[in-house]
Amino acid sequence: MRDDGQMPRVDLFDLDHAPITVQDYFTVGDPGPIVAALAAVPELMAPTLGFIGAALGPGSIGVRYKEFAILRTSVLQGCSYCIHAHTTVSLDAGLSNLEIRALRGEVALEVGFPLDDERALIGWIDALAGATGPIPDDVWHAAQRYWPQHSLVELTVTVGATMFLNRFATGFQLPTAPHVTERLVAAGMA
Amino acid sequence: MSDTIVSTGTIAAAVQSGELPARVWMYSNYHCNLACSYCLTESSPRSERRQLTAEQMIAVAEQARELGFTALGITGGEPFLLPWLPETVLAMAEHLPLVLLTNGTLFAGDRIERAAALAHPDVALQISLDSHLPDVNDMARGPDNFAKVVEAVPRLLARGVRVRIATTTGGPLDSPALSPLQHLVASLGVAEADHLIRPIVRRGRADEFGLGVQAVARDIPCELTITGDGAFWGSFGPTVRSGRLDTDLLLTRTILPLAVPANALLGVLRGMPEGTDARLGIR
Repeated sequence: MRDDGQMPRVDLFDLDHAPITVQDYFTVGDPGPIVAALAAVPELMAPTLGFIGAALGPGSIGVRYKEFAILRTSVLQGCSYCIHAHTTVSLDAGLSNLEIRALRGEVALEVGFPLDDERALIGWIDALAGATGPIPDDVWHAAQRYWPQHSLVELTVTVGATMFLNRFATGFQLPTAPHVTERLVAAGMA
Repeated sequence: MSDTIVSTGTIAAAVQSGELPARVWMYSNYHCNLACSYCLTESSPRSERRQLTAEQMIAVAEQARELGFTALGITGGEPFLLPWLPETVLAMAEHLPLVLLTNGTLFAGDRIERAAALAHPDVALQISLDSHLPDVNDMARGPDNFAKVVEAVPRLLARGVRVRIATTTGGPLDSPALSPLQHLVASLGVAEADHLIRPIVRRGRADEFGLGVQAVARDIPCELTITGDGAFWGSFGPTVRSGRLDTDLLLTRTILPLAVPANALLGVLRGMPEGTDARLGIR
């Protein structure tokens, strides 16, 4: 999960070099490497961040389950940048260290999540992000048993948006922010 | 940017009202047979070409007319290094009138006939000449530049090509020291209204050498500018320094359909406070 000191493969724009159409994103401080990389194609900034914000931000399903989707998907996709970032977001969302370790695959899921409904939800996430091809009916039926369809639709959009971010961050070797690393070390989750 | 997506009729209305400048510029290429000291794009024979294709340039011209723009400009680099330039310019002029910027040094001998093909009522060549003193002019623009230009201008005019002269100066735009140059330009047969005098803008190589006026976005004339690297705020936007393209005035990487960058430019203009238009005489 470590960045191994890799350098980003693309330019990370700063305020001096940010295109005029996206400079507002840079005037309030460092917007982070995803925005800094996206600035290379300014016309994609607003629609991409709009989609990402809606897909990963607060929704009807609640931040706890959003973080299930984001952190678990990032683990399955092997994205160190997103695992680091969303380990800290998951802590902020109130997930326990044990739950986060379970989502990160460091302890058994059953240990971290004793409730059937939450394991069914994670099963759906695993089938979406951790495999290709059709998803078995039993996974769908288990999820649908506990969760309304609109929640599964929302969560599936979150998984898809996360997979985009995973490949974006991994492909371009985006660096984990120092404050995230410090937080992970302090929490014993680095 | 979704709030900036507007109909093509809106672009036409914005052009008609003066809200959106009427000319669309294109950088046909970035390489050049010269290497002027104040060049905004660090152009030289070794520069990366960053070229538009003929098909792209004609499509920009056609779509510019459809959107409601009323004029075109072509600059570089030296556009006449492109073998297909004259016929492409004529195809573009079928859509909108245009001005073509050139250093005027590639018209010696029989080569004048390539440019003579551009004797068209909607095409003007704009040639750079910076001083009435050959050595002063050539110090910035390269050996024999002065002689080539003063030879080419009357020959072009004699062939029915409209010629404008552009003078780039590091001094005041109304300096009496420019008077002999103005007389020289008139003696070549160029109308006074076709002689532009403009300051060096401190971008590109001029920035490297500390030349010219400092300019921020609101000082730089806003005219939608299309390059192989994307669309920019103005023709002084897609500059190059130390080999790297300046991106601070980049609007979009998408250049076609032209409505995409046109809408982005209008969106930026509408987000700027009133009174932030150009005041440095840059043109």
